[in-house]
Amino acid sequence: MRKDIYEKMQILANSAKYDVSCSSSGSENNHKTGELGATHNSSICHTFTADGRCVSLLKVLLTNFCIYDCAYCINRKSNDIKRAAFSPRELADITINFYKRNYIEGLFLSSGIIDNEDHTMVLILRTLKILRYEYHFNGYIHVKLIPGTDDRLIDEVVALANRVSSNIELPSDKSLKLLAPNKTKEKILQPLKHARDKSLENDTKPIGMSTQLIIGATPENDKDILKLSSVLYDKALLKRVYYSAYIPVNDDRNLPAIVNKPPLLREHRLYQADWLLRFYDFSYDEIVSEEFPNLDEELDPKTSWALHNLSYFPMEINKVSKDELLRIPGIGVRGVFKILKARKFKSLDFEDLKKLKISIKRAQYFITCKGKYCAKVSFCSDTIKQAIIEPPKKRVIQPSLFDIDYSAITGEL
Amino acid sequence: MILIYDKTFEGFLTLVYDVYYEKLKPNSIFKQKPNKLILEEIKQIQTNEIKATKVLEAIKNKFSKKAFQTILNIFMCDNDDFEVDLLNFIIIGFKDKNELFNINNSSIFYIQNLEKQLFRANHKMSGFLRFEELEDNTLYAKLESRFNLCYFLGKHFYKRLNNQNYIIHDINRKLAFIKDGTSIKVENIASFEEPNLSEDEEKFKRLWNSFFEAVSIESRKNEKLQRDLVPLLYRTYMTEFEN
Repeated sequence: MRKDIYEKMQILANSAKYDVSCSSSGSENNHKTGELGATHNSSICHTFTADGRCVSLLKVLLTNFCIYDCAYCINRKSNDIKRAAFSPRELADITINFYKRNYIEGLFLSSGIIDNEDHTMVLILRTLKILRYEYHFNGYIHVKLIPGTDDRLIDEVVALANRVSSNIELPSDKSLKLLAPNKTKEKILQPLKHARDKSLENDTKPIGMSTQLIIGATPENDKDILKLSSVLYDKALLKRVYYSAYIPVNDDRNLPAIVNKPPLLREHRLYQADWLLRFYDFSYDEIVSEEFPNLDEELDPKTSWALHNLSYFPMEINKVSKDELLRIPGIGVRGVFKILKARKFKSLDFEDLKKLKISIKRAQYFITCKGKYCAKVSFCSDTIKQAIIEPPKKRVIQPSLFDIDYSAITGEL
Repeated sequence: MILIYDKTFEGFLTLVYDVYYEKLKPNSIFKQKPNKLILEEIKQIQTNEIKATKVLEAIKNKFSKKAFQTILNIFMCDNDDFEVDLLNFIIIGFKDKNELFNINNSSIFYIQNLEKQLFRANHKMSGFLRFEELEDNTLYAKLESRFNLCYFLGKHFYKRLNNQNYIIHDINRKLAFIKDGTSIKVENIASFEEPNLSEDEEKFKRLWNSFFEAVSIESRKNEKLQRDLVPLLYRTYMTEFEN
């Protein structure tokens, strides 16, 4: 039976939703007179879903037919689900009309593998060509590279897309073998490497690339994961690694039995740690070690690092360098810039920090202002940890009627 | 002392001139005569083009391009009660333009924060604004906002919808940014009729709603978070929240 376009949209958006990447940032503004669309350097969110994730791109699959049989994937060959496919023309039309109504920043196009890898990539490429050449669309396009495609097709995609990516999905080859028997790390990284080298030929900056890892479906610890991310960043292969808490969509004997809730907290901690790698100049082995291979779930990784390295603290807000300020838990990159700017004019105390709208809720345990330490707990890691996890409750005096012998005062019985 | 000016940029520049040359020390600046009985001295500023031009030239010469832009932005966002702080901002800038970065000064801090709020509201609206296609293919968007964003949004979409005609209509301020062919202007709109939508409009609205529902993950549902991220205030004209 032919499916109508609404049902297709339902099926193909539903199949793509587990990919977390939705950012459209980092592309220079590129508008052209008389044409449609432009990218924006900072990401613009156009709406938020009921689970609180931002929607900035039309994130769909070209098709959810697939010849692969990856255990964690809803679209695996052996699943009995509704299948559909957009034609390149249909998808290009929807993208343009969504863009004109300001629903989206652009397109995030991924696909199941139909017939074979090259055929699928050609269909994606056709969509891109309609958008770029026929509709003169200059907005953002992110394309998922199909592992195992011909290099020449990848070259063409790299020339037309703003960003490309390929999901590593699982942090080790062993896990891939178990859950995604058609994929190997080699096969997944190959199009990324090729895309980087190709884009470097024409430009000094490699094309923005990202990947996604599934967390909690396989036994790797946080150290394995962060080490992998940090290697990928160092080789300039990737701009961003996304972590996706494993959500069970299939029954498979190789997958963890029953997970009641996706490991969201672990995912959150990994993002925090990833942030430290990218913007705070931490190396992965400062955050996780042989001794503690997993991130502390109770504390964010920066606080956790600080408590293990109390000898650097407390830091004097008015004296320490930019790099040191960046290491203070609770103070972010923006906070650091505000402090540096304000410091030029006067030496700061806690009131000034408040005025600058820097929250000292967490930072108070790790800083002094003009030599003064203001946290109400003694400076040692156990008490600080205690105070952060369970902030001291304000004691409310609530006299019970039976505390005092009223009758003695009022004469009542 | 209380100063009253006529709400226009020229009026405000004249006010700056008078404050400077008559050494006035205003406590508050109003846009119209207060109804209440006030014991303080009240002075009405007479808008004067020559004075205004002088001050404008002086600001352009003395201030950095960025600080000049800040002054324009603050004036354009037409928030209540920015005048005294903006006046202080300008006076400080004339004395020593480096002091304009001293966020320890309350007026400068206020102005910088107000500008940030304006940018934030503008950034949000640049994502949350929704166009509808009219019969003649013009794109039409309605807007309600604390700040006067017409001009800023109009500029933003000029880059994106360069080959389209569009209208951004600020319902409360009765203003509209109109791009028609190569001409762009901000106009007062006294009254308007609900325009007719194009044939395709219903189809794409339905497709968008169907997409929006499909991408949400049931097991991670968190409507409180959603409300924090898209406050109800912004949802009035958003297609996906219409029901």
